[in-house]
Parts: sequence; C-alpha cells; structure tokens
Amino acid sequence: MSKRIVIDPITRIEGHLRIDVESDHGKVQKAWASSTMWRGIERILVGRDPREAWLFTQRFCGVCTTVHALASVRAVEDALTLEIPLNAQYIRNLILIAHALHDHVVHFYQLSALDWVDVTQVLKADPAKASQIAESLSEWPGNSAKEMAAVKTKVKALVDSGQLGPFAHGYWGHPAMKLPPEVNLIAVSHYLQALEYQRYANQVVGMLGGKTPHIQNVAVGGVQNAINLDSTAALNVDRLYQIKALLDKVIPFIQNVYVPDVCTIAAFYPEWFGYGAGVTNYLSVPDLPLDEKSTKFELPGGFIPNGDLSKYRPIAGQRDEAWRKAVTEDSKHAWYKGEGGLHPWKGETEPEYTDFQDDGKYTWVKAPRYEGQPAQVGPLANVLCGYAAGNPLMVKWTDAALAKISSIAKIHATPSMLHSTLGRHGARAVRTAVLSELALKQWQLLTDNITKGDATIFNPPTFPKETIEGVGFHEAPRGTLSHWVVIENGTIKNYQAVVPTTWNASPRDSKGLSGPYEASLLGNPIADNEHPLEVLRTIHSFDPCMACAVHMFDPSGNKVARVKVL
Amino acid sequence: MTTTDYPSVIPSSCHPVRRVAVYGIGNILLGDDGVGPAVARFLNANLDFPDDVVVEDLGTPSLDLPGYLLDFDVAIFVDAVAADAPPGTVRIFTRDEIMAVAPGIRISPHEPSINDALIVLDFAGKGPRDVVLVGVVPQTLDGGVTLSPAVAAAVPAAAAAVIAELASRGLGS
Repeated sequence: MSKRIVIDPITRIEGHLRIDVESDHGKVQKAWASSTMWRGIERILVGRDPREAWLFTQRFCGVCTTVHALASVRAVEDALTLEIPLNAQYIRNLILIAHALHDHVVHFYQLSALDWVDVTQVLKADPAKASQIAESLSEWPGNSAKEMAAVKTKVKALVDSGQLGPFAHGYWGHPAMKLPPEVNLIAVSHYLQALEYQRYANQVVGMLGGKTPHIQNVAVGGVQNAINLDSTAALNVDRLYQIKALLDKVIPFIQNVYVPDVCTIAAFYPEWFGYGAGVTNYLSVPDLPLDEKSTKFELPGGFIPNGDLSKYRPIAGQRDEAWRKAVTEDSKHAWYKGEGGLHPWKGETEPEYTDFQDDGKYTWVKAPRYEGQPAQVGPLANVLCGYAAGNPLMVKWTDAALAKISSIAKIHATPSMLHSTLGRHGARAVRTAVLSELALKQWQLLTDNITKGDATIFNPPTFPKETIEGVGFHEAPRGTLSHWVVIENGTIKNYQAVVPTTWNASPRDSKGLSGPYEASLLGNPIADNEHPLEVLRTIHSFDPCMACAVHMFDPSGNKVARVKVL
Repeated sequence: MTTTDYPSVIPSSCHPVRRVAVYGIGNILLGDDGVGPAVARFLNANLDFPDDVVVEDLGTPSLDLPGYLLDFDVAIFVDAVAADAPPGTVRIFTRDEIMAVAPGIRISPHEPSINDALIVLDFAGKGPRDVVLVGVVPQTLDGGVTLSPAVAAAVPAAAAAVIAELASRGLGS
C-alpha cells in the first residue's frame, strides 16, 4: 500500500520548497517538487533602465548574492556587445571565486552535514582516537586531541541543557546514520571551524564588492572599484595584499579540511553512490573570463547527454549560437498561463494559480529545457564538463577525491559513481578545491595588471533605439544561471531569469519528462515514513536555493514544520 | 582552548570598546519587507557613526547570518515583524523574546533566521550577547519596491528607536 508523504517546508535550504513522494515497499515510487512561492521580479524590471537591473535582481537572494548582479550586467553587456576591461574581469572573477568558497563551505557544514552526522553520537566518542583519525587524513593543524575534547565538552553541555540548539529536531538515532562516534566528533569540530573560515572568503567579497550581501561594485561595462596605487581610498597594493592574506587563510581549510571531510563521510556511506542519479543530462557554462571580449575562460562548460562524457559538447561563450537557441521554459505543470516551451526572450510571467494538482499544475517553478531535454545543473555538472574537457585542475581534484574515498572505504571509486547524491557532494568539494587554486591565479593576474599601470575599470554603455536582445550567463554555486533581456529604446521590454534551481526543481514538462529533483528521488530508500531523512539527503545534495521571499519575525508564532504522512 | 583561536585574532577581551552592528534585514523587492534596509539607509544618510558602530543594509542573509555577527558584542536588528498591531507600529524585542519564539525549528524557509543565527552562535560560544530587534509591522509583503505609506512614515521612528538603544548602552554618534 503506497504512502503519500508531504514534506513542506523543506528546511536547511534557502527558500520555499515542498516535496511530495509516494513510498511503497520502503522506496520512493513517484515524486513531485513544488516551489510554494512566486515573486514576479521579472515584472518589476519591465520599463526600467537596464543599467540598474542588477541592483534589483541581486536582491533575489542574499545567500547566492553576487551571482544575479553578474548575470544581469553580462546580459546587458551581451546585448550591446560591450567589451569589459581586464581589471573588471579579474575583479569580478575574484568575487565569483571568493563567494563560491564561502558558499560551498557553508552549504556542506551548516546545511547538509547534519543529514549524515549524528551529533548525539559525539558523546560516545574518544577524543584521542578522533584526533588520530583526523590527523591521518590531513595535515591540518586544528585536529589535536585537546581540540576534539573541547568540542565534545561543548556538545555534552548542549545535550545536558536539554536544548539541542541548532541540532534540535534532527534525525538523531535514525537507523540510516552510520558514522562511527569519532567521525561524528571530527565533523562537529570542523562545523565550528567552518563558521570562522568561511567568513574570510566572504570578507574578500565584501572588500571588493563594497559590501556583502548585495555587492555594490558592478556596473554595466565593468566595475566601480577605483584603482589607484597612490591612494589609500582606492584599490591599491596594500588592499590587494590584505585580500591575499584572507585567501591564504581560507585555502588550506578547503583543501585540508573540507575536501577530506567530504571524502571521509562519503566513504562511510558508499551505498549512497547508488541513489539520487535522476536526470543525467548535465549543463554548465564556461566562466572566469580572461579577455575583454569574454571569449576565453578559465573553466569550461557545456552539455553532456545521458551521462556520457564522451559526448560532451562545449559552449564557447555567451554568443555561442547553439546555446542561445537551446533554452526554453515550459509552463504546462506550473502556475502560469500558457503551456508549451517558450524561449526566454519571448518568455511570459502571467500567474495562473490552481491548487496542487498531481497531474496538472503544482508549482511556481517553470520547466527549463535544453534542446527539449531536462538538465541537471550544479557543481556536479560543472565538474563533469571540466573532466570531460580535460581541464587539468578538474581532473586532478576529481581523481584525488576518488582516490581518497577508495583508500578509506577500500572500494574502487570511479567517475561513473558521481551520478548520485554523494557524487553531488563530492563534486561540490572538488569544485571548491579547484576554485581555491584559481583564487591566487586571478589575484596574481589582477595585481600584475594593476602594477604595470592599467587602472581602467569601465567602458561606458550607449543604448541604441532599436530592439536588442542579450543573455548573460554565470556558473553560480548552484549551477548555470542565465538572465535574458530584451531592450527597446534603452528600456527593458522583457526580462527572464532562468536560475539554477529552476533547472533542478523543474516540474514535469509538456512531454511528461520530470525534472532533476523529482527524478533523483525515484528508488530512494525510506526506512521510516515518519522520518524521511533519506529524501532530505538527496534534496539537500542539490543545494536548493529557491530565492528568498518574505521572511518575518513572528512573535506569536510557534508553527511547527510538519512531515505529513497521508 | 577553543576553535576561535585558529586564525590569529586578538581575543575580544583586548578590545577596549564594544563593537556594535546595526543590521537592517529584509527584501526590498517585497514591499514592506524592505523596511529594515530602509531604516539602515536612513540612519547612514542622516548621521555619522563612530568606527566601532557598523550600520548596514544586510538584505536577506538568511542562513549566512551567523558569519556577519561573529565580530560584534552588540547587535541591533531592524526587520518587519508580524504582530497584531496596526501597520507602522514599532516594537522592540529583547534577546530573550527573540529566543523564545522559535526554539530551533525553522517555522518556514522564509526565516530571518535571527533566532537560528543566535542559536548557532550560542553553540559556538561566540557572537553578541546583547541583542535587540526593532520590529516594524508591515502593511503588505507583495512584490514591489516601495514601502506603503504607514510603514514609510514609521522609518524615522524606527531609526529613533535604534538611536535610543545605542544611547542607552552609552554608545552614540
């Protein structure tokens, strides 16, 4: 007898997401992903000056801040075929990298680790043994027995107080929790260290962006960061070295704590390489432009059909004709008027709300499709494309991670295992490590360019009267982001944002093809219908970011997040 | 020894002056949810603050909020507050009242996570002990980039409440 389980809201993500599954014989048989909020941002932009669109779009979300500002200016720059000065490209790249380093670390430790780590088991751990295990896995100096003992004491105090604080209402003691007590202790100790280290990366974003969340330094045509080697108020050598000092602090944490932790945890849950594959068409876009025309990129991107890396097709850039034609959004099962796939330049945002209809409309997310196919986006897509393209850093870190998992778990871990829930976590760590190496490279490029006397940061845009179309893309922490703009006589006529989570949280389309979340849940185990931890594991591995909606402090509220088993 | 010693940061006991954060929280694209940022911008436009008082429109940091609080001893939040009172009403909430509301369960994904951030910081043993929320009751949270009249009219009063909180702690401009 199949059971309908509704999890609404999904917590420990950004935004509104409801997941419905039908579970039978301990496995998910059918799934629906529903975004329960609509904001109409695109409509706010119509009629506005394209030079300020980024200010609004960036306010979609303060967690994946920066990304919508970058995609927006790029869309307008693309429409104008405007070149971007090298300093501006390097500064934007540093912001991209620093933000990703911060974001991926927070995602693993603060958002998803608790799906795999049982904090209450820390009380049974032997701190000396935990230290020994941690020190055997990495040269990080923060793994002493004294450190582990201090963390255990902290957890004990929390548990003794009766209030589990940030760990309340987790699935402690769930049969699917498999880590030995010492590995739980290592993970909690690193959870606390991550809180310190992620902010060094975020401080780099703040220094270059003027502030964060919601950076202020971009502009259509470049950046606003004044560069002047002789001025204390501008970006000068002193500031550049402050930035480098922050990067030098966070890079070892990523390479010697975050990556080993993901590999260690993966090694204890090897069966999770067998769940969560879902849609194995992968889409990512090239990023970290190295030239003024944005034709050369540090990292590649493209499309992989059916998990077959040999059939990888690169996307050359924003002006790649195949890319520009390939994207459509389908509203058949979404709460908008209209049904079939529309290209974003012709896209519409007319809401049509019905209640939740299993076979009808059931979500606020449209169904984006690439050449008519659903596609998974995110670090996994980015890493697989990089691996297929033979990018040296992507290959090096992917092979290193697989080797580490193999040696801890005593299995032979291969790239084909990455099409899974754990593969997404592993790929996120790989991507972060790759970016951590590229951080210093971009810093060097910027510093060298500035010290040789180039202070150009901006090329002013001029808008023609006739209608122009542009698309800006960006490989954001959650995957391929694209903003599509139509500008007529210098004002915005249409604006569609196809964000990474739209691809992944996509509902079924007119052909009945499911999106990645829905497909990834099929066959997922569920040991206990009342505590569907395994569903959370797979969904959290995508790092959902449904984009911030209202968030209000409610002094009267004590509404409980419920899991309903129907 | 705790994990805080990892980066070589001067311990806060060596700071002679307390560091204060005034953070306006909210989404400016959702009508009166933008009141927090509006108050932060109003304060910065009209007053000069000493170096150890940071006044910022923090927008929607959501689950990233703990990181923005690590360096501070005092935090004053400004945010839209659902309460049974007319739009534009300004109400102050103490740390205890904030912590009493949502003991760890996310009420919904659209949390400001002020209470969640404080819970995480309590576990880590860091962040401000002295926390207050200046809440403004909204009229509407529908999509739009302007504040409704009642809430716009409340911005100076909310700003004055922030100044009063600073003054009562011996901090001022």
